[in-house]
Amino acid sequence: MAAAARSALLNHLRVHVQAVPRNPSYTLSFNAIRRRFLSEEVRGSFLDKSEVTDRVISVVKNFQKVDPSKVSANAHFQNDLGLDSLDAVEIVMALEEEFGFEIPDNEADKINSISLAVDFIASHPQAK
Amino acid sequence: MSVTSTAGYFARRAAQRERVRILYRRALKDKLNWAVHRHIFYQDASELRERFDANKHVEDPDTIDRLIADGEASYNKWRHPDPYIVPWAPGGSKFTRNPIPPSGIEIVYNYGREDND
Repeated sequence: MAAAARSALLNHLRVHVQAVPRNPSYTLSFNAIRRRFLSEEVRGSFLDKSEVTDRVISVVKNFQKVDPSKVSANAHFQNDLGLDSLDAVEIVMALEEEFGFEIPDNEADKINSISLAVDFIASHPQAK
Repeated sequence: MSVTSTAGYFARRAAQRERVRILYRRALKDKLNWAVHRHIFYQDASELRERFDANKHVEDPDTIDRLIADGEASYNKWRHPDPYIVPWAPGGSKFTRNPIPPSGIEIVYNYGREDND
């Protein structure tokens, strides 16, 4: 009966949200097994830079006007790969489709090389 | 004429290059909105590219300005009424749907299991 009263009481209790201290490494008895989710981790996950580089390089290699042997991690679209500015626009659109992204117009003009593209995508929390 | 106003000439050409790039980007996205099937989009994209490439060698800035204005007018005419916007971008369906919680708040994911603790 005490357990029924306790559960009825618990069903009506409100749980207060308290601000936890910044140091997440304190020990608790019940939650040592369960992982604590602090709100910083909810903000979105950044993609791994090497994985981003691999995907970007594979997208650029599949591009028709690009010679696949010249593509490296530091290739510049116009200097190294000999592409037009319109081709750079097409590559940025292909990267947008690959990562499920939306790049604003003024940022998209500045992406002129693979390293810039990788930096931009890796620093955006919503890249898939 | 181009010797005396070289800086202005190059600035104007650079501005025109920006406009062409933005116009090409928007036109390509619009083609993607209109074309449902991917092979139709590829045909449209290559046709758009050829239209841009046909005017690539024009040197006179006034002609280029007129061509860009024509291109932007035809883009405005053909804009899709319901474009695809990525959900979390401005204008999308998930934009500011779940705002970021303030820092320091702990989120405990135990929905449905609260009595067991």
